Amino acid sequence: MNRTPPALPEVLALLPTTAATQHLTRGVLTGQEDPPRVALQRASKPIGASAARWHTAPVRELVEEAMRRFADARTRADAWLAPRLHATLRMTRAEAADPELWNFMSLVVAPDYVVWRHTGAVTSTTSRPTAPADRFVGVAHKHAFARLWWAAEMFRDGEDYRSAEFACGNQDVLHTALRLNAIDHRPTALALLQVLANLAARKVSHLGDHVNALASEINIVRSTLMYDVIAPVEPPDTDAVLEWIAEAETAPPVPLNSLPDGPRDGRVPKTSVDALVKIFEKVHEESPHLRRRAATVDNAGAGVSLAKPGI
Amino acid sequence: MKTLMPYPTVVGDIDVTIEKVALDGRDLPYSMISRNERVVALHEVERAEWEEARIALRVSLPEREIEAGPWTDVVCVAILTEGATNARLARPLRKRTDGAWVGSVPVSRTLHRTRASLTVSVVGTVGGVAGRVIGAADAAWVIDLTARAPERKKELNIVEIDFAASDEEWLIKLKESPWLVDTSGEMPTVYLNTGFEGLAPLLNGARSEMEKSARGLVASQIAGDAWTAMFHAAVSDLEIGDDGTPQVPSGWRESVLRQMLPDVIPGASLADALLEVHERRTDGQGWSALQTYIHHAAAKRARIPKYVRTAVRALDRAEDSER
Repeated sequence: MNRTPPALPEVLALLPTTAATQHLTRGVLTGQEDPPRVALQRASKPIGASAARWHTAPVRELVEEAMRRFADARTRADAWLAPRLHATLRMTRAEAADPELWNFMSLVVAPDYVVWRHTGAVTSTTSRPTAPADRFVGVAHKHAFARLWWAAEMFRDGEDYRSAEFACGNQDVLHTALRLNAIDHRPTALALLQVLANLAARKVSHLGDHVNALASEINIVRSTLMYDVIAPVEPPDTDAVLEWIAEAETAPPVPLNSLPDGPRDGRVPKTSVDALVKIFEKVHEESPHLRRRAATVDNAGAGVSLAKPGI
Repeated sequence: MKTLMPYPTVVGDIDVTIEKVALDGRDLPYSMISRNERVVALHEVERAEWEEARIALRVSLPEREIEAGPWTDVVCVAILTEGATNARLARPLRKRTDGAWVGSVPVSRTLHRTRASLTVSVVGTVGGVAGRVIGAADAAWVIDLTARAPERKKELNIVEIDFAASDEEWLIKLKESPWLVDTSGEMPTVYLNTGFEGLAPLLNGARSEMEKSARGLVASQIAGDAWTAMFHAAVSDLEIGDDGTPQVPSGWRESVLRQMLPDVIPGASLADALLEVHERRTDGQGWSALQTYIHHAAAKRARIPKYVRTAVRALDRAEDSER
């Protein structure tokens, strides 16, 4: 990859999945080849009205900074990048639900990041390790960039990204909790994180196991308890979101060493989070699920690690 | 409620009526609301740029049962969700003096993309536990942000386009194909190549018996391809639940699987057939043997046997008349 690739397009565009998949060759997945930028751009559709928020340069800078900062610990890039990506690519959920935007991000704007972040360990000497295709073109909770944007969106508390940063610092939250329908209810998402923070403060071992157990407990209990009634929350203030998006025109680049501010679309009432934390902690303590899992992990011997580097 | 709960639940009907839908404060014509199909079509040509819709609903509960039952603090909530945007919004309804529960739910353009689902749940305190789900409306209403008419079934897009003159590069490359099936988007799409000489006139303007039978053959062939592609797309996108079994997907994927699985794995329940197909696909055992049945199921849906027979007979008759 030492020849200069064609220039990065200035604005984001929408890349249809069919066209994206076609160029997902083995060479691209291993990082040996660059995706054909010119062909991909030709296959893309314009994103609509021109706006600063769709500029590629700020995103590109972030991605490069992430690769520099976390060269030795790439999983840790998630917690750093998620809130900053969210505050740079300002958009509504309806816009973020378009897979074509994410296809363009991964194949045209930053394929090098996808390979850097998601290429698995070398397993054999003959074949080169590849990044899984669904990190380039895939569902939101798998896609290299969509998962970070959505994690920031689902786990932030109004303008406060601290909870999202904490969530993305745990790979199991990103793996398991992000695909849980239950977290669509904001107090549930924050209560889940609070329970984990409490467990982490007690220095429990195998925190990842707790995440997985909690996720299934929350799901099971949800079939008989209506969290929305136990822990009410106002709908998000959509005007505040639109205002925050409009501010992207004049906003400076996001800070690299402190957290940016998200949209002021309303905080989740603490009473609601507390009510759910109480329920989740009780269920979790009584969970046979966890005991069984903990037992299997212990029996499996010292070779088992719950950290999943590179996945 | 279908699931068995470890506490008493409401047995009687919970009936949801959409009374009114307003787009940015302006009432939507009643023709955009279909009670039979439980669909609200929010797409209006004249108001493409709407920001918020407000759905007013009325719910009737089996009041006598609820009063006599073991539940206290009974409330009724409307819940609007959309999977694609992870949106979830719960609005409490209030009880009117006549016993009906009423309220409204906002549908924001920023939070919803294509289809939102509106459900109603009844919640109360049972045996000292607050917040128990004690009942739910039987079926959800679909709030369709893209439809111009309130119809539930929308399973396939058909796009007639000249591949060679298209803006999409991948189509240009495939300009020799008479048709293509694309299942990667939100809705499966059949692209008919109007640049393929004679295809459009054949499909749209067949007149003689021979032409008509040729049209039937081609159309059923296209449909067969579409069914096969949709089946494969639906089984490759399956989400796996916490218990390790594949979940029945939603939208067109559900519909395709429901229609085809009985022919692919005969005699099995939907869940069992889904598990069987998923296992065969992921571990490769018996996956190729299954192709025959997938092909059979697709051909049956596409009515290929019927059109082939019609075409053969038309040929026979043409030969007879030439003799």
